[in-house]
Amino acid sequence: MTVPEQEPRKENAVMIGIGEHCVGKTAMTSIGLGSCVALILYDESRKIGAMAHVMLPDSGGKQDRPGKYADTAMKLLVPALSPDPLHNRKITAKLAGGASMFEYFGKNLNIGERNVEALKKYLAEQKIRIVAEDVGGKVGRTVTFLPEEGGKVFIKRADGSCHQI
Amino acid sequence: MKLTPIQKDAMQELANIGAAHAATTLSQMLNSQVDMSVPVVNVVDISRVSDCLGEEFAAMVVFELQGEISHGGYVVFHVSKESALRMTNTMLGMTDMDRPLNEMDQSALLEVGNIMVSAFLDATAELLGIVMLPSPPALSMDMAHAAFESLIAQLTIEVNEVLLFKTELTCEEHKVAGNLIMLPEAETLEKIIALLEGLMAPTS
Repeated sequence: MTVPEQEPRKENAVMIGIGEHCVGKTAMTSIGLGSCVALILYDESRKIGAMAHVMLPDSGGKQDRPGKYADTAMKLLVPALSPDPLHNRKITAKLAGGASMFEYFGKNLNIGERNVEALKKYLAEQKIRIVAEDVGGKVGRTVTFLPEEGGKVFIKRADGSCHQI
Repeated sequence: MKLTPIQKDAMQELANIGAAHAATTLSQMLNSQVDMSVPVVNVVDISRVSDCLGEEFAAMVVFELQGEISHGGYVVFHVSKESALRMTNTMLGMTDMDRPLNEMDQSALLEVGNIMVSAFLDATAELLGIVMLPSPPALSMDMAHAAFESLIAQLTIEVNEVLLFKTELTCEEHKVAGNLIMLPEAETLEKIIALLEGLMAPTS
């Protein structure tokens, strides 16, 4: 069951736009995720987090915007949070987004679903546990991540409702 | 992506002609005067799209550009929830503003969008001398950014910048406002610019 929550204040949060990423202790937010997915990694022992606004599952070798693709975002964020692969199991992941906003368009493309699948595959390869997710469906989501407050993640929807994962 | 001032002017003029035709159809449907803003043509980095379309709830009627240019990009008619309600209320002679958007509003929005976007594309295509047709419409009633980023993600040619045409149409009498937004594929944009430059070339 999800308990209704007050959305945290976003003024001081780093705004992570499409294809961007951030590593640190500061609050981070991505507005209006549709088929994009917020990849959120958290190291509880150090209270450090990382987040990327992933738009597509595969970079096809492109390097210019690592946060934009599932594969490059993982390659960048995991080592930034955990320089030693043995430390990976202390990192936890949360995923949000990956919706399909239009029934008519892109149904066969299913970009949202493919983004989520790709991220789950890479997380499993790196032995990083997914502790919470709010993915799929037909809804937009605004995500706010608070590393300094135990890695809490708040999700707001267009109807104004807010819950924590 | 960089447009020269002349290309930008030409694109603006094209949007202006299209939007004027769309405004006329909206004016007929609302039976009231509709004003339009000067179209804004902007190259926007994808990471900053949230500055133009945020997390607020909006109704967006989306069309894919078809015709001579297949998969040409998207045209969007974007209205706030309040404007959507006022628009349906005006057309159906109702006054209740304190209600959720229902199926009737949805079909009204699809129809209004269809008529306006067809007028927009007819006028621009005629100027360019090509055929541009809208696909059947799709509707999203959710966060504006969520719908729009999904369109960017499914562009055939992947981009880091998008060119946005935006014109605001307002009906003072009924307090209705909406935006027409065009998101062309990179190839479509090149083709349109080439056609416009052809039109502007001296015909001696």
